[in-house]
Formats: sequence, C-alpha cells, structure tokens
Amino acid sequence: MVTPRTMAAACAWLCAAAFTLSAVPAHAAAKAEVIHWWTSGGESNAVKQVAQAFRNAGGVWIDSAIAGGDQSRAVTINRIIGGNPPTAAQFNTSKQFTDVIEQDMLNNVDLVAKAQDWDRILPEPLIDVIKHDGHYYAVPLNIHMQTWIWYSKAAFKKAGIDKEPASMPELFAALDKLKAAGLVPLAHGGQSWQETVLFSALLANMGGRGLYLKVIRDRDAATIQSPAFRDVLLAFKRMKSYVDAGSPGRNWNDATAMLISGTAGFQIMGDWAKGEFTNAGQLPGQHYGCIPGLKPDTPYLMQGDVFVFPRTDNPNTIKAQQLLATVVSQPDLQVRFSKLKGSIPVRLDADAAQLDLCAQKGIEIVKDRSRQLGVTEVYLTPDQNGALQDILTAYWNMDTKVEKVQRSIANALKY
Amino acid sequence: MSHHSLQAIALPTAAIAPIKRRRHFTPARIGVYAFLFSAALFFLLPLYVMIVTSFKPMLEIRSGNVFALPAMATLDPWRQAWGAVSQGFWNSVAIAVPSTVIPILLGAINGYALSFWRPRGANFLFGVLLAGAFIPVQVMIYPLVWMMARAGVFGSLPAIVLVHVIFGMPLMTLLFRNYYASVPHELFQAARIDGGGFWRIFLQVMLPMSLPIIVVAAIMQVTGVWNDYILGLVFAGRENLPMTVQLNNVINTTTGTRLYNVNMAATILTAALPLAIYFISGRWFVRGIAAGAVKG
Amino acid sequence: MLARRLARFSPHVALLPMALTVLLAYIGGALWTLRTSFTAARTFPSEKFIGAAQYVRLFDNERWLLSLHNLAVYGALFIIACMVLGFLLAVFIDQNVKGEGVLRTVFLYPYAMSFIATGLVWQWLLAPGSGIEGAVRQMGFTGFSFDWIVHQDLVIYTVVIATVWQASGLVMALMLAGLRGIDPEIYKAARLDGIPAWRTYLQIVLPMLGPTVATVFLLLTTAVVKLFDAVVAMTQGGPGIASEVPAKFIMDHLFLRSNIGLASAGAVTLLVPVLALLAPYAYARSRRARAAGAHA
Repeated sequence: MVTPRTMAAACAWLCAAAFTLSAVPAHAAAKAEVIHWWTSGGESNAVKQVAQAFRNAGGVWIDSAIAGGDQSRAVTINRIIGGNPPTAAQFNTSKQFTDVIEQDMLNNVDLVAKAQDWDRILPEPLIDVIKHDGHYYAVPLNIHMQTWIWYSKAAFKKAGIDKEPASMPELFAALDKLKAAGLVPLAHGGQSWQETVLFSALLANMGGRGLYLKVIRDRDAATIQSPAFRDVLLAFKRMKSYVDAGSPGRNWNDATAMLISGTAGFQIMGDWAKGEFTNAGQLPGQHYGCIPGLKPDTPYLMQGDVFVFPRTDNPNTIKAQQLLATVVSQPDLQVRFSKLKGSIPVRLDADAAQLDLCAQKGIEIVKDRSRQLGVTEVYLTPDQNGALQDILTAYWNMDTKVEKVQRSIANALKY
Repeated sequence: MSHHSLQAIALPTAAIAPIKRRRHFTPARIGVYAFLFSAALFFLLPLYVMIVTSFKPMLEIRSGNVFALPAMATLDPWRQAWGAVSQGFWNSVAIAVPSTVIPILLGAINGYALSFWRPRGANFLFGVLLAGAFIPVQVMIYPLVWMMARAGVFGSLPAIVLVHVIFGMPLMTLLFRNYYASVPHELFQAARIDGGGFWRIFLQVMLPMSLPIIVVAAIMQVTGVWNDYILGLVFAGRENLPMTVQLNNVINTTTGTRLYNVNMAATILTAALPLAIYFISGRWFVRGIAAGAVKG
Repeated sequence: MLARRLARFSPHVALLPMALTVLLAYIGGALWTLRTSFTAARTFPSEKFIGAAQYVRLFDNERWLLSLHNLAVYGALFIIACMVLGFLLAVFIDQNVKGEGVLRTVFLYPYAMSFIATGLVWQWLLAPGSGIEGAVRQMGFTGFSFDWIVHQDLVIYTVVIATVWQASGLVMALMLAGLRGIDPEIYKAARLDGIPAWRTYLQIVLPMLGPTVATVFLLLTTAVVKLFDAVVAMTQGGPGIASEVPAKFIMDHLFLRSNIGLASAGAVTLLVPVLALLAPYAYARSRRARAAGAHA
C-alpha cells in the first residue's frame, strides 16, 4: 500500500540516486597529469593554450610544471621507474628518451599517428627520433630552430651595413664593421650550451648538410680531422674576438637585450629569442632582422618539444593519452602554441598566416626536405652531446691548437 | 683559564726573579691583536656584504659600491626573498624534524648497545659504518635512487628522511658511543644486577642521563640536515625541496635578470636557522665538533 | 623462560637498523656501484658487462682528467691554507686575548652556514665589476682587477678562498681544543730555556698536537673529495668546464648526461684515495688500541 511514508522513502531514494548520478558525469573524464618545464612567462602562456584545448576536448588537465629541463626529465624517469608515472611528460625532440623507449616504458601513439598521417606531414629528422621499430612513441608539439642569426637594425645602421650578409666572408665583414663602429659585434652569453649553438650555426652555414651529418650523425673520425672541419672550428674560435668582455656566464636573454638596445649587432640564438624582442615592443623587419641561414641551402637545424606517454594498462589513462596526443597535433592548436612560444608548428600543413615574419620564413624553409636537419641532440645521446659541448666550451675559453681540438672531438665521439 | 694569566700580570716581585717584565703593549702583543683583527675582518666581510646588499634597491646595487651602506634601505628584497624560498623553509623544517629525532634515537640505541653489550660482530659493523662516513656520497647515491624508485617512494618526504637517517647514522652513533664509553661501567653493572634488561636499562638509566649529548647531537644533526644540498636535490622530490636547493634554483637560474638584493636576502634566510642555532648554542656547538672529531 | 631467551637477542635486534644500513646502504650500495661501473648502463642499469671499458673511457675524458687536476690543486691549497690559518688563529687566540669568546664566534660562524650559501655569497663578492673588484675601483684604484672567477686558470682559487673561509674556523676550534690540553709548564720551561715563542709552537707544541692534526687532516681531506655544493653554487663548474670537480662530474653523468656506467666508474675512482687514506689511519688506530689494551 502506498502510504505517505513509502512515498517519502521513495522520494528520498530517488533524490539520492539523482544526486549521485548527476555528480558522476555520463562517462569518466579523461584525466591527464602532465609534467613539463614551460615555466617562464611566454612558455607558461603557451602551455595554457594546450591545457585549454585539452579541456575543450573534454579532458581534465593536471599541471605538473617543474622548472628546468634536466630536473623535469629526471623526475619523469624516476616516477616511471617507481611505477607512478605521469600521464604525459615533456621531452625535447632528441635522444633523451631513447633509453626509455628501449626499456619498453612508453605507450605508443600509432593510432593517432596513422589517423593524422604523420609519415607524410612530419619532417624526417623528427620522425627519426620519435619512431622506433615502426612505432611512434612521442607526439611533437613544435619546431624550434636553434641557429637563427638575429641582428639589430639600429646597430646595422650605425655601422653602415646596408644588407644582410649572404656568406661567411660577408658575415665577418659585417662583424668587423660593427667592431669599427664601437659596437659589440656578437652578443653572446658565455655558457657551454650557447657555445654549442654558435658552433652548430657555423657548422651548418659553412659545412652544409653533408659535413654536418658526417660529423654529427655519423661521427666520422676522418671527417672530423679534415681541413673542412678544421675551418669550421677556426671560424668558431674567431667569433670569440667579436664578443665583449662581459660575456662569461651571461644569460641568453641578456644577450638579446643588447640587440634590443642597439649596443650589439648580431646574436646567434634559437627562435625563442623572438619573445624578448616582442616583449620589448620590437617588430621583425622593422627593429630587428632574422636570418635563418646565410645561403639558400643552409640547413635548418630543428629541435622542439614532444610529449611522451609512459606505459600503462589503465584504460582511462590510455584514453587520456590518446586524447592529449590528438589535441596536441591539431594544426590550429600548434599555431596558437607556437605563436606564444616563438616556434613554428610541426605540421607542414598548418596555416601560417597568423605567425610573424620570421616564423613564416622558417615554415617555408621547413617544407624543403633537403634543408631539414636536426640539432646535435637529435643525433647524439645526452652524454655524447655533453662530451662535445665540454670540448667546444673548453676550446672557446682556452688557447688550444685546433688540431688537438679535432682529435679530442673525434676521440669523445667515438664512444 | 689561560696558562698565560700568570705572565700577564706585571708582578711586583719582578725584581726577584730575572723574568722579563711583560707589558701589555709589546710589539708581539700588538701583532697578535692585529692578526686577529684582520682575520676577523676577513671572516665578517661576507656577512656584512650579505646584510648590506639585502637592504639596497637594485638601482643602488648597479651603480654603487658593494661595501657601501644602503642609502635607500628597503625591505622589499626581503619580501620577495621570503616569497621565493618560504616553501623551501617549511620543507626544510618538515625534513629536519624527523631527520633529527630518528637518527638521534637510533644513534643512542647503537651507542648504548656498542658500549655496554658488545654483541659479536657489532664492532666490525661499527667500523664499516664509520668508514662509510668518509666515503663520498656519490658512491651510494644511485643504488639508493634505484631502490627507492623501484619501491615507489622516490621523491617523497619519507625518502629524504630515510636518506638522512642512513647518512647521519655514523656521526650519531659515534657521539653516543663515545659518550657512553665515559659512563662508569659500575653503573651499568649495578642496573643489571637490579634485574634490568636491555631496554629497561636504556630507557630508565642511560637515556635520562644522556641529555648533554642529545643536545650536542641535535645541534649537529639539525645543522647538517638543514645545510644539506646534494641529498635534498636528489631525493626530496619537487614538493619537498629543502631551502638550500630552492635557494640555488632561485639564484642560479639561467633566465631573467639577477636580483642581487633578493638573492642575498634569500641566502640570509636560508642560513638564518643554523646561524641562530650556532649563536645560541655556542659552546655546545664546539663540543659537538670536538666530540665528533675525536674518533674513539 | 622464552622471554628470557628472546631477551638475549635484544642487543642484536636493537642493532638491526645499523646492520641493515651498513650491509644494504653502505656495503651494498658501494658494491652495486662497483658492479655498474663494469656495465654499459646508460639511463638505466644494464646487464651488459663490458669489462673496464668505462674506466678506459673515463680516463680518456678530458673533463674528468681536468676535474682530477682541479681536485689535486684545490685539495693541496685548501688543506694547507685551512691548517695554517686554523693553527695560527688557535695559537693567537690562546694568547689570553680579550674578547676570546667573540673572536671564536666570529671565526667559527661560517662553518654553521651551508656550502651553498657560502658559494653564493662569494660568487657575489667576487663578481667582476660589481663585487670587490668594482668596490676597489670605485675607491680610486681604477686599474685594480680581481676577475679570477671568470678566468679559466684562476677560478679554482676562488673556490679555495670561499671554502677556506668556511672551514678554517673548524680547524681553529679543533686545534684550540688540542692546545688547551697541553701542559702550561711546557711554555714556561721553553721560555726559561730561552726558546722564542714561535719556535716553541712549531717545534714543541705542534708535534704534541699530532693526533689532533691527524684528525683535522682526515676531516679536511674527506671534505676535499666531497667538494660539490660550493662549486655548484659559485661557478657551476665554469667558466666552461674550468672549475669542474670529480663529485660534480659524477653527479652530472648520473642524472643529466644519463650515463650511470661512466658515472659509477668515476665514483669508484674517487673512492680509491679515500680508502687509501682510511686504511693506514684505521690500522694505526687499531694498533694504538691494541697497544693500550696490552698495557691495561
């Protein structure tokens, strides 16, 4: 018999049921904890774009920002070993995570790769690092170019340089003119990674694709000891005479500041330097210029960021990983991300109209497969790259005979 | 009590014995004071510069002299510094408390067992433990990392505490062992005759009379843990980074302008606790060093 | 009855943490590192044994060789400077000077600071242009140059300065404790014999401080081998790799360069001089202990 009491009880049960049901979404949201090291201003804004896009796609973004690439990667690896991995983690497009793949600690993203035809739209050096044994293990977010030649238009004017250098002799001539005008020819920060950037730029510009690959990818001892490579090293050392006395230990953005203020002429640095110019209100083509390479066939040295997905069998986590991989490979997100980060999208079919002059230059170049190359970390393991860096920075700071440096490099890279 | 106090007094009986009258201002004496004064300057200089820099605005630092007193003193760097390292401060506290209590307890138990009970093989273990104190920590770091990562505890508060327990054990055990070695053996024997067992004697006889050495041990261990960098860097995990690690991250970052005043304020904040302990505890601190240095 | 039987093992149970620590962490860790140094381990441990290849690579590595060279230079300077300065400070303080307590506090407070704080302060003081160099120039000596810290060959000396500043107080405290244990009659007798004070200290007192000096030497040497924090804070191993030290090389290769095989080889190599130093020390101590036991 339906009494008021029964009705009340039924109501209570129904209400409780309705309440619990409404509290649980129709399907469990894809939760992704992401470890990354995008902690500085522009980077932080860029990653927020990714987080937002992920949320728009129905995911829940749990941010685990850890300052410092090395720290961040170390945390990722230790958590993977410890059985408490994040859903996704940032790495550079490099051999940093090769060991992790070989130890079978990552989930692959073949589904997403196939759906978006990565084999066709991604540059080859990138594919080489993220694809192993036919499987894709990382999703690239962007492409940075490490060796742009930036210059201050104001400094050029003061030194009487009226056109961009298009060869090494012209570059040296321009540097000399800047020196004569009392300006700092080359704004440089005396940190070992910056010396490696400078070296890479010279190797790419002087040696071209052939020499670069032979030294960096093949680690061919004969080539390293060759006169051609010797010239690159000598040019590298010659650059030291164009930097100012305050360069030791200087941060890269402090060097960019010298271009912004017009006290220095050139800086060789990655495209993340653009953010500094933009923050200071300077525009490409107007206040500063960007040269991707001296010659039309100079290699475009690519690096970038990827997400990897630690191994897990949890279906919810896998769902979140797939969702994140899909979201991150969307061309419009890549454009938005790159705009704030200073990079260019990975997808060669992305719409570049929103990006600035320099980025557009880069995008055009990347479409040319013959100019696609990677930075040293794409071909060398972290300790090989580190050993090379040690020798370069020692050579930069000390007066060693170039033949000895060649032997040292050949020796270090043979391991 | 200095043994020179006798000679320092100009004795009216100087005429009796052919002792050279020592006046207070001999060249030698001036030399002593001069040396000590210069040394004191050398030792105080960094502290002075730290303090002075932390109160100056950046403008003054860029244009001014590192030794000059602040012309426009401001508390702003301190506010910023605290903001930058306060998390580290509380982390260091959270690490230091268990990392002091547990090693002291274990050190006391170890010292007690080694001094009075001497089970077989214990002395050998102790010898290896002491040797371990001298071995560079790099020899053992990766195996510990690996084990903890496998156990899933890596990068957590228990991990860093465990590591401090492991690396604090040699000194703590040494302090207590030496202390108990100076306790009359009759006391122990009397307690045994009274029917006391291992734990009873420890808790009711030895521990209560260990207060002096506990104070010394606490001072040593707190200072050591608070000032540690390398273990905190590796084992503490991002949420528990101690102040020293956070300080270094803040100061030696490779992006952004270097705010020297904030850096110095942050450095003082980090050094504040152990310095305070040192200034307050004075002689106990020295006793600790001496006790730790006297290897048996 | 059973309780009594079990109670016999209380000391053993109590010493279990120590036993575990020694066997697992210290001995186990060292053995694990030794084993890894013979494998091809990179980011992760490996089962691939490659004999002494890592050692070959290690001693073929210019950065490692430079770090050893730096350690030797640093070690010699640091130990000598600390011992000399510490001894002098102790001797001079012992001359019944006024304000002894204050002076002792001044000389010892740096030891209460962490090496990170010390390194950061001295980095600021020695910064070319803004630190001491800038200040002296502002005082009128425009030609003054003190930019050692950015100089390839001189940077290691800056690390010496900073760490000597930190550690000489410790040496002073220990030497002072030793001096206080010397019979004051010695000084009187020496003076009566007409021996000048400085010779008394050098040729009579110093030899009497033998055990103290040995302890100090051992402590300083282990500090030298462990040098890491100060370099990280002050120079980050730079400029370039000029101030690299073995401990930092090992840490960098363990975690940043992802090559634990090479790093383990480095750690084992670093262990050798420590063991070489400990062995005779331990042997001498055990001989003394046995001799004392024989006489007892």
